[in-house]
Amino acid sequence: MAELDPLIHAPARLQVVTTLSAVSEAEFAALRAALEVSDSVLSKHVSALADAGYVRSRKGVRAGRRTTWISLTSAGREALREHVAALRRLIDVVD
Amino acid sequence: MEDRVQHNPDDPRSVLAGADQARQRLAAGLRLPTGLHPALAAAVAVQVGTAAYGIATQTAAGLAVALAGVAVSLGVAALTLYQFRRINGVRVYGLASQIVLGAGATSSLAYLGAFGAATWAAFESRWWLVAAAAVAGGVGYAFGALRWWHAYQHDPAAHAGGASPRVLAALAVLACLGLVALLVAS
Repeated sequence: MAELDPLIHAPARLQVVTTLSAVSEAEFAALRAALEVSDSVLSKHVSALADAGYVRSRKGVRAGRRTTWISLTSAGREALREHVAALRRLIDVVD
Repeated sequence: MEDRVQHNPDDPRSVLAGADQARQRLAAGLRLPTGLHPALAAAVAVQVGTAAYGIATQTAAGLAVALAGVAVSLGVAALTLYQFRRINGVRVYGLASQIVLGAGATSSLAYLGAFGAATWAAFESRWWLVAAAAVAGGVGYAFGALRWWHAYQHDPAAHAGGASPRVLAALAVLACLGLVALLVAS
């Protein structure tokens, strides 16, 4: 049975991985705008998630300037699926 | 991380709602390049029409015309996907699959139906019917892409997946080689 994942249990982290599940790859700035957070906050979350293998980041170029592209890995997608399932079970128990 | 609606971090329902809201915010903010659907319809119509002509004429000139049609179609697809990435700062493989492969049922049926009808019409030298079938196929293909886009905006996580750019490039090469083989063999 799926359990809560401590790495994405914090609402901010859950929002990062959930938002990434809507796309195949997102530029750092686009993700920051969607989440309405600062560069430093998003960097911190992305680093933690990358260390766990939940997201992958790579350097690229867009409109002539360097940028970072971030994507959810298959491990991250699976972790998100299990975490959401665990949250829904908690909701069912409360209901 | 601030949401437009305050979420209680201790309430699972509120946490899930906040995450879904962030995902929907990203998806709702995505914009398709201007004129995508007419351009896609025209490119597919050109590809279907030229392929039908090439297959029916079975000449080197016909092969060149058919390959030029494929090049136009792939060029429009590549330009469209580049513009989408530049405008939005994201890649969505599901969209790429819709545009390049016509992965949805509507696009696939429209393309195959139009291709079959146009090829038959070309063998019968009914060129007005080739053109009509090609245009109908292009419009149906673009309509399929539009339907997919609405489905994606409604549930982005379920529709974001698709073939990666490398797979699409490999399939494009295979399609060109297949077309050449078909024309050489016929």
